[in-house]
Amino acid sequence: MMQEVLRLQNLQKSFGSVCALKNASLTLKEGEVVALLGDNGAGKSTLIKAISGFFPIDRGDIYVRGEKVSIRSTREAMDLGIETIHQDTSLAPDLSIARNLFLGREPVNLKWLGVFAPLDLAKLRDAASALLKRVGISKKLDADALISTLSGGERQSIAISRAMQFAARVIILDEPTNNLGVEETHGVLRFVKEMREAGHSVLLITHNIHHVFEVADRIVVMRRGEIVAEQTVADTDLLTVESLITGADLSSLMKRAL
Amino acid sequence: MVQTVMTIAAEDEMPVGKRRSSLIRSPQFSSLVILIVLLAVFAIADRNFLSPLNISNMMAFLPELGIIALGMTLLLTAGEFDLSVGAVFGLAPVVVMLLVQNGGWAIGIALLAGLVLCIAIGAINGLIVTKIGISSFLVTLSILLVVRGAALYITQGFPLKSWDQPGFFVTLLAGSFNIGAFRFYTSLWWFIGLSLLAVYVLRYAKLGNWISAIGSNRSAAVARGVPADAVKIWLFILTSVLAGLAGMISAFRISAASPVAGTGYELEVIAMVVVGGTALTGGRGTILGTIVGALMLRAIRNGIVLVGVPGLAYNIFVGVIILAMLILHALLQKNAARS
Repeated sequence: MMQEVLRLQNLQKSFGSVCALKNASLTLKEGEVVALLGDNGAGKSTLIKAISGFFPIDRGDIYVRGEKVSIRSTREAMDLGIETIHQDTSLAPDLSIARNLFLGREPVNLKWLGVFAPLDLAKLRDAASALLKRVGISKKLDADALISTLSGGERQSIAISRAMQFAARVIILDEPTNNLGVEETHGVLRFVKEMREAGHSVLLITHNIHHVFEVADRIVVMRRGEIVAEQTVADTDLLTVESLITGADLSSLMKRAL
Repeated sequence: MVQTVMTIAAEDEMPVGKRRSSLIRSPQFSSLVILIVLLAVFAIADRNFLSPLNISNMMAFLPELGIIALGMTLLLTAGEFDLSVGAVFGLAPVVVMLLVQNGGWAIGIALLAGLVLCIAIGAINGLIVTKIGISSFLVTLSILLVVRGAALYITQGFPLKSWDQPGFFVTLLAGSFNIGAFRFYTSLWWFIGLSLLAVYVLRYAKLGNWISAIGSNRSAAVARGVPADAVKIWLFILTSVLAGLAGMISAFRISAASPVAGTGYELEVIAMVVVGGTALTGGRGTILGTIVGALMLRAIRNGIVLVGVPGLAYNIFVGVIILAMLILHALLQKNAARS
């Protein structure tokens, strides 16, 4: 029996009069890839932002490894082992790979100096090189290279390796294959499989249903702020999932058309 | 095996070569080359340019704008800017001198009050920009008017009567000393010390990493737990305090405070910073570049007069030289991106 890592219970969030999240409940187990699907405005972003500490939820409970937690900031989410990788907004293009990998968690000397503490540049560089080597992209990339010189796929690899490096329990991927080429997309999907093998739990948000069938174990579908369906990948098919997303019964429509 | 060895060798060699070429291509380096060329041109055109008297003169003015430029560099690197610095430069010494001359305050307390005022102005700038989310251009433009207006109102538009009380604080801010034929002001030490601090913070401290990250991609920094708003607010406060400090240094040096002092300084300071190679859009900042930029604008202002450009045509030259610098940076940037 795989252990439960993250449990969301009846999460609720409104922005003014708009109810963005209604009674959302979801469980994520160790080493499991769950795909979160839904049309634009279905509430996926609100859900992951709530988990990653961008804003407080109005009601509901979040449990990490069975313990009730409150997540009030991105920092607290990270400290609980929840790492979020946003579409293309996870890295600072003007900073080096090494500096990005440790952004917000910089190794420093003279810690008592607080924010004025000097970066441990040697450690920063060595750790970054070791990490790049471990994820197999050391040959091409220098830890001192600026992110702005990298391709979209390389950037996504850096963001993902950063999440894995901090041994995150839960890695949330927000549209990780957006704007990527075919080969780069496969690289990212391979990363997702590696994350699962390493025991991380992955919450994958995507519009590409084919990718879901390639890597996910379970599918959760949202519509108008609610979770409307939850199925294991083995028990469903593409058409069913598509109708769940749009709310129209596509499979019966198709049958009628045929 | 052979392949492994080759990879390792390549890895060992690459960074050195890369570092050298990236140094030459870096914006602060090209600014430095142009500064040297400019200095050479002025020196050849007029041999008084490098005379002790003229160098002393340039060094007297340099720290006053330079100190503000240090704060502005950090602020710009974080992606914001401050147009109210010239007005704060004017208001702070006016308030300090008024408190002493008319209010009978002790100078130390008055200086402290002046700094608290600068902190408040910076905090207002920062809070409105970050918490309400209005662009720093609009916020600091409005604050510029408020601050300048306040300076004019409390002085009724007249310069204060001249300052005639030397003392420890006055020496600390605007004392002077001679090295050979050169006469320097203590403000030069302030500038050097603050420059070293700023270089350290931006390049080597954790905070510098945050500042660059915030300007480069704010949401990425926030997602990594960097307190972007707090950092920006403190940078607004720092810039304001430095502007006030520079204003006090200037006022004590000439023994007078005028409510219109520092008019137009905001643009001159921003010019120094971007000419040095700091990106106006944030993310890329260089203190060394700013020092070069400050020297360059100072040298241009001074040299052009010596060379004999008519006073009224003078801003044409300043503008053209700044524009040429920016075009050069843009071209270098394009080149770097292509390679």
